[in-house]
Amino acid sequence: MEFLRRWWKLIALLILLAFPWVYREPYYHSLGFFVLLYAMMATSWNIMGGYTGYKSLGHSAFYGLGAYLVAIAANKLGWNPLISAPFLAIIVALVAVLLGWIMLRTSGSAFVIATIAMLLIFRITALNLREITKGAPGLSQPLPPWSPEFSRMPFYYYILFWLIVALFVSWYIRRSRFGLGLVAMRDDEGKAEMVGVNTTLYKILAFGVSAYFVALGGGVWSYFTSHISPIYAFDILVGVDMILMTMLGGLGTLWGPVLGAFILVPARDLILFKFGSTSIYLAITGGLMMLVIIFMPKGFLTTITDWVENRHAPRAAHQGARSMADIYDSSSEKKQGEDESSHE
Amino acid sequence: MNEMLRIACVSRRFGGIQAVRDCNISVQSGSITGLIGPNGSGKTTLFNLITGVYSPDEGEILFEGKTITNLPPSRICHGGLSRTFQITRLFWEMTALENMIVPIRQVGFRSLLGPDMFRNEIDRAMGLLERVGLTHLKDEPARKLSFGQQKLLEFAAILMADPKMVMLDEPAGGVNPTMIRFIMDLIRDLNKEGVTFLVVEHNMGVVMELCDHVIVLDQGTKLAEGSPEMIQTNPAVLDAYLGT
Repeated sequence: MEFLRRWWKLIALLILLAFPWVYREPYYHSLGFFVLLYAMMATSWNIMGGYTGYKSLGHSAFYGLGAYLVAIAANKLGWNPLISAPFLAIIVALVAVLLGWIMLRTSGSAFVIATIAMLLIFRITALNLREITKGAPGLSQPLPPWSPEFSRMPFYYYILFWLIVALFVSWYIRRSRFGLGLVAMRDDEGKAEMVGVNTTLYKILAFGVSAYFVALGGGVWSYFTSHISPIYAFDILVGVDMILMTMLGGLGTLWGPVLGAFILVPARDLILFKFGSTSIYLAITGGLMMLVIIFMPKGFLTTITDWVENRHAPRAAHQGARSMADIYDSSSEKKQGEDESSHE
Repeated sequence: MNEMLRIACVSRRFGGIQAVRDCNISVQSGSITGLIGPNGSGKTTLFNLITGVYSPDEGEILFEGKTITNLPPSRICHGGLSRTFQITRLFWEMTALENMIVPIRQVGFRSLLGPDMFRNEIDRAMGLLERVGLTHLKDEPARKLSFGQQKLLEFAAILMADPKMVMLDEPAGGVNPTMIRFIMDLIRDLNKEGVTFLVVEHNMGVVMELCDHVIVLDQGTKLAEGSPEMIQTNPAVLDAYLGT
């Protein structure tokens, strides 16, 4: 048990690295790709929606924007999508900062509505800007150069790499003063502003960062499917999925969004496989979500850790506080050590 | 003595209610100034105007000779002006220690992203927690603290921003006599260390004992000011409190 606790991240990584070689059918590579893609995007969404509490329903706008930028750059300029996507996603993040500057004047449900409106604007623009987007029929782009037999595998490893980056960014933000300010805003934004947190700046920055990985995901997806159209690129369900996964796993936690993606993406595939390609999966995910919100409002991860900690200790320690207490203890130990050495 | 805060001809209206009307107030640097007045006389509105929660309709607010009118609250806090709330406001899901770490005076991008900044801040926070006797509760979520402890925590936390001036909204409201004594001693000690105070308080015993200057508000404007003794015997003040 102790071994697992210490090494589970490495073990999980090894399993993920080995997965495509154990399950060799392209279907599994494709499924694995989508699990990792959504894990990355949910992690990204969580930086804004989880830490700060501003729940955007329009993150698909950045997904679609990333997808179109990458596809257009590949067609018109011949840029390799896997190389260009991380850079073009920066542009999308800057767009998000600009839009955030406008939209983040609202809060609560007004913000949610504003993000949906933003998504619809992008969608309608993509449908009508035919010179650039080719309208409703959509854009095609060249297939990857590698052999079709392995066609999914490079995507899988590529997105695995970016999932790790996204998790690192999410972890780093949560541990920084910036992250502390974001979480403080979730508790009481007015108070946070009053004690010196520049809430406007924090919100806009968090919005930009959370758009980045979603845009990157959109870019990679556009290469993966090789054909994109506004209906699928600017699909509100993509954003809704990120939210469902985050809430299922644990809103505002580091691993919650990943856990949610690992449960929800395969589950949805299973439902599609069992019931065929109808909208029934929407009803089932919706029903599941209601159950989770009623019985586990904090998500799987928080509920389980609370349960474990309550069994071991009478009071549940706060996750962030524990890490801060660790820092304090280690710094005071270090200081004592320095004092002792100076005496010698 | 220098002037720390100056409120010049400030007015603010909410719909049909003139909450603050042509108000002129000055707080001397290094003083403990009391702000009293009957309910609805505009004390809390004035606090909100000074800290940037509301913008004044007319007039100007100067802090250390510079205008802070229409600045966002975070900038005003960075300038060295902090406040507490009548109804204690904390980050309820955060621990006592985390509540201490959030307030800051100034921040650049480096310290924004650097968790290493935490070390000396945690040392400072622990020092302040010890001063208010909350060290043992550092890992408890703020919502689990008792009412008095929450008040102390809010007070201690704003000191983390290293303010030049602190505005307290009813520091003695609803706390037991021992705690009132403790808070008064704390205010006096901090004042000796150079912090200026503006205190709204309904407990007249506290005001008379603590403050060296008292300002009386009535119907959104200054009614009288002077030493506590002078205020106590001012007929206009007695009139405003007791009604006609």
